[in-house]
Amino acid sequence: MMVQDIMIKDVIFIDEATSIKEAFDKMEHHRIRHLPVVNKEMEIIGILSDRDIRKASPSILEDWRYELLDRPVNEIMNKNVITALPFDFVEEAANTMMEHQISCLPIEDNGQLIGIITDTDLLKTLVKLTGADMPSSRLEIEVPNESGMLSEVASLIKKHNINIQSVLVYPGKELDKKILVFRLQTMNLRPLTQSIKNIGYKVLWPDLEMKI
Amino acid sequence: MMNEAGFIFSPEQLKYKFSEHHPFNQKRLILTIDLLEKVNALDTNTILPARMATDSELLLIHDEDYIRAVKDASAGKTTASFATKYGIGTEDTPVFPDMHEAAAWLVGGTLSAVDLVFEHGFKHALNLGGGLHHGFRGKASGFCVYNDSSIAIEYMRRKYQARVLYIDTDAHHGDGVQWAFYDDPEVCTISLHESGRFLFPGTGSVNERGTGDGYGYSFNVPLEAFTEDNSFLYAYEKIFREVTKFFKPDVIITQNGADAHCFDPLTHLCGTTKMFFEIPKLAHELAHEYCDGRWIAVGGGGYDIWRVVPRAWSALWLEMTEQTSILKEPIPESWISRWQSESKETLPTSWYDEDSICPVIPRRNEIKRKNERTLQSALKSIKERRRK
Repeated sequence: MMVQDIMIKDVIFIDEATSIKEAFDKMEHHRIRHLPVVNKEMEIIGILSDRDIRKASPSILEDWRYELLDRPVNEIMNKNVITALPFDFVEEAANTMMEHQISCLPIEDNGQLIGIITDTDLLKTLVKLTGADMPSSRLEIEVPNESGMLSEVASLIKKHNINIQSVLVYPGKELDKKILVFRLQTMNLRPLTQSIKNIGYKVLWPDLEMKI
Repeated sequence: MMNEAGFIFSPEQLKYKFSEHHPFNQKRLILTIDLLEKVNALDTNTILPARMATDSELLLIHDEDYIRAVKDASAGKTTASFATKYGIGTEDTPVFPDMHEAAAWLVGGTLSAVDLVFEHGFKHALNLGGGLHHGFRGKASGFCVYNDSSIAIEYMRRKYQARVLYIDTDAHHGDGVQWAFYDDPEVCTISLHESGRFLFPGTGSVNERGTGDGYGYSFNVPLEAFTEDNSFLYAYEKIFREVTKFFKPDVIITQNGADAHCFDPLTHLCGTTKMFFEIPKLAHELAHEYCDGRWIAVGGGGYDIWRVVPRAWSALWLEMTEQTSILKEPIPESWISRWQSESKETLPTSWYDEDSICPVIPRRNEIKRKNERTLQSALKSIKERRRK
């Protein structure tokens, strides 16, 4: 999945002459936390977050000098903008955001602003990737960390004529194990879980004893 | 009692049968009717027939190409893409002969129930063959082909401009009905179910509250696995009363799946039959208080067809017809001896279950607390509205 598949294309942005107050109102109005700042050519020249505005605001404990908020955003915006490209993988973008501890990435094409992604979009994508937004049942299996395990379990699922909504594979707590998590389009997992147990794999979920 | 409540059933509804070993088994209907007869609570001569829903009625909710696909599948004309595109021919919803007709008869039963209440002077009506809440506009899902409740709701919207409150106590999330009216402020849906973390269909989180104009008109209470009677009923009573008070419906439709019982093989909730006696009691009360008695009840899930469903669904009719004193009597010997040989499990001898049928649950208090938090969160949109 690429960044361009999940990015918001209808970006709300400002130019550098915009006043801090206007920028603040824009964020409130659209209920967003970040505003890319662009020049006439739509090139990204800065980014402004609600935190930048807060930092620039007077304390509630002292008398406000409202004229401060009429100053342009280019005095407080962050000019060192970290961006991503439309053909980056979603996981790369997530990694970049984590590394720089930021929660939004403007997307640029040839220096021009064409989209934006935020941590919310990434969470939405995670929900989608795990298949949890479609009617399905969750099945979690522990298998040996060897080649061919996924294919073996998948062919068993096929034998039961069940469509796979999504699948995740991740390392188990012990190095010699892997965990397979499926979202399956079925209401009745029992016949399949029995088949899986029969070939000797451990079904971690649905595992009722664990919960009692 | 007469004309207060109507019981709808037609033998055609029994033909909704996927296969011999499929968990969805309409024998439940026969077992329930027989039990009601044997306790003298239902005279079979007064049973009112269902009907087959017409194509134009199905089209109130379903897509034309989907209906065509179901018809084709009924006639044995399927292609491999049917399973992925229409959800037909999967392990959950295999194709069976005359699938379209059988499914349309279940829908017709619920529509007949609506007609009894809106046209023929009945206060309440029961179609145990309905309650197929997973059916989507263009896709079969979770044993459900056509969504009778969604169709009946749309039918009531158009024909009577009624404000409809739908409440679903099946252990599975009532997803099909919720999504059909997700943006509609004239239809309010409540679903209490086992949390999607544990159970199909995975949706029904507390944050699903509706969208656009319909925001604040969908309510979900996803309950922890191993939730017991008291915790379930506490949440049920609270949300049902609060939402009814806020929404002021013209009619209540209850989906009465009987799979939240601890014997149910498909779910992990831990109810006893007490739950199924209390659930309709409140629906009955609120229907009289807010809707001049207009209450339509349908069946739904329920996969322990011997020990659970007949008692649960009979009790629904007993409540509707104010015959609940029967619940204090034993289950008639004649019913037990008629069916025991067919059931692998020992049939129950009383209406109420012993407490001992539930496993001891060490996390009980934790589960209760979690459910209480979920309930408060589910009620958030009502509280917000009050503040404004």
